[in-house]
Amino acid sequence: MDKTWEIDGTTTVKARFGAFGKKLISVNGQEVHNSRKGVPKEGIAFALPGGRQSVLTRTAQFVGAPEIDLRVGGNLVVETGKKPIACAACGTVAKPYDRFCGKCGQAMPTAEDYQRRKHVKNATGAIKWLAAIFFFFGIVMFFATQGQATVALAKLQGMDAAATYPTPIEGRTYTVGELRKQLEWEPRGVLLVNGILAAIMVGLALWGKRSPLPAVLIATATYAVVIVANAISDPATLGQGWIVKLIIIAFLFKGIKAALALRTSNA
Amino acid sequence: MPEGGERCPACQAILRSGALFCPACGHTLNSAVAAPARQEQRASVTGFAENWDELKRVGWLFGLLLGCSFVFGLVSRAGTSPWSMVVVSLVEAFIVLTAVGLRFSKLRFLFRVHPIGLPSALRLALWTSVFVALMAAYFWVLEHMGVPMSSASEPFVRAGWPVWSMLLLISLMPAFFEELAFRGVIQSSLERVFNTRDAWLIQAALFSVLHLSPLVFPSHFLMGLWFGLVRRRTRSIYPGMVLHGAWNAFVVLSELWT
Repeated sequence: MDKTWEIDGTTTVKARFGAFGKKLISVNGQEVHNSRKGVPKEGIAFALPGGRQSVLTRTAQFVGAPEIDLRVGGNLVVETGKKPIACAACGTVAKPYDRFCGKCGQAMPTAEDYQRRKHVKNATGAIKWLAAIFFFFGIVMFFATQGQATVALAKLQGMDAAATYPTPIEGRTYTVGELRKQLEWEPRGVLLVNGILAAIMVGLALWGKRSPLPAVLIATATYAVVIVANAISDPATLGQGWIVKLIIIAFLFKGIKAALALRTSNA
Repeated sequence: MPEGGERCPACQAILRSGALFCPACGHTLNSAVAAPARQEQRASVTGFAENWDELKRVGWLFGLLLGCSFVFGLVSRAGTSPWSMVVVSLVEAFIVLTAVGLRFSKLRFLFRVHPIGLPSALRLALWTSVFVALMAAYFWVLEHMGVPMSSASEPFVRAGWPVWSMLLLISLMPAFFEELAFRGVIQSSLERVFNTRDAWLIQAALFSVLHLSPLVFPSHFLMGLWFGLVRRRTRSIYPGMVLHGAWNAFVVLSELWT
């Protein structure tokens, strides 16, 4: 993993995190740190031209890649990304270290704002993943449920609709007619329910482009409710796919906090 | 305009060729160019900590109500008893009343009765009729699609409970406490973080998803929007309670009739 920070017009810091824990930091092409040891808690300290003290830190995240930050004189530095940074007001391309746009004078986002944007982007990305998961799950479960329903309906063939089915299901007795109705409905029900959920997530993903905070909030609540509703109908589902569930919820929660912080700092 | 290599007179940062403002301090380099207008502060933004507290309040209330639904749902798997519904209703009532009590000073305005004129009352009645017609049509469509509809009154009928108990426990109590929770605590808290429109949309979404079944998300979202709008327009919690209770009673009585 390679990261680059342009500190000013004449100073560039590059960090390379290679295989087997190799860490190489260079300033203007000159190596200042090269080791395989872990990054200490306080970070890797080194000096820039002009005696400016810098610290590179690596913070493990609950989900996602660890955050690698560079601070110069205690201030977080904006990482140089693959895409050039443009002023939101006039579109002029700016340098990562610009605090104001040279063309229109608008204040540029801070390094913290870029970090928060990344978390918000992860959260809105999680919403899109949820939309895709519900969509494909709905289709897969439709065919799976239809197969099961066809087998079960074959067993009920020839039975009188008004007759009581001899075996109680989950403590309840049903007539044959009620069971048939239930079995015919199930595949459609699974498709419809997941379709509604996918549509909600698509709507939230679109809303999230303009207003990420409300969209991520509602997506988090909806996903929590889906987990609870599935757990009520089948408590075993609580333990199924818990890693994926945890990752999605973690991304959504981080997104809520980051979007709120971004909103407050932009006010 | 500076040539490349010149320095900003305010902060001495090196300037790029053609820059009208210093990228380091924002100082105007060309007096003919106006400084950018400052962004207006939104009236509802009170700082990250306060906003986060408001969202945590909403999260706690929503989470506790969802927890109640979860426990009730698990208990119902063994068979739905009216007594379990009584217990859950009382627990939810306690949660909501606690939340309201903790914020009463900020919610006090919702408990005032504002008299409305005849034209407003007629408009309210007209839109309520439209709302009831839309809801009835939606559930009619669901029923004709073959969606198995669960009956809230069935456990009470099976246990031989009187009609007034069903109206109290299924119609009035949920209406009262859901309005207090969603249009009271949640919408008011959200209005401190978001603009009025976003707060209205979010509370309606939370209200709809708390009913657990995605099949009723669309209808209950509209319900949440309608009750939230009534609350905004009347600046009182009571009209929403009346409308919500009336709708719930209509549903229960329809079930009993059929």
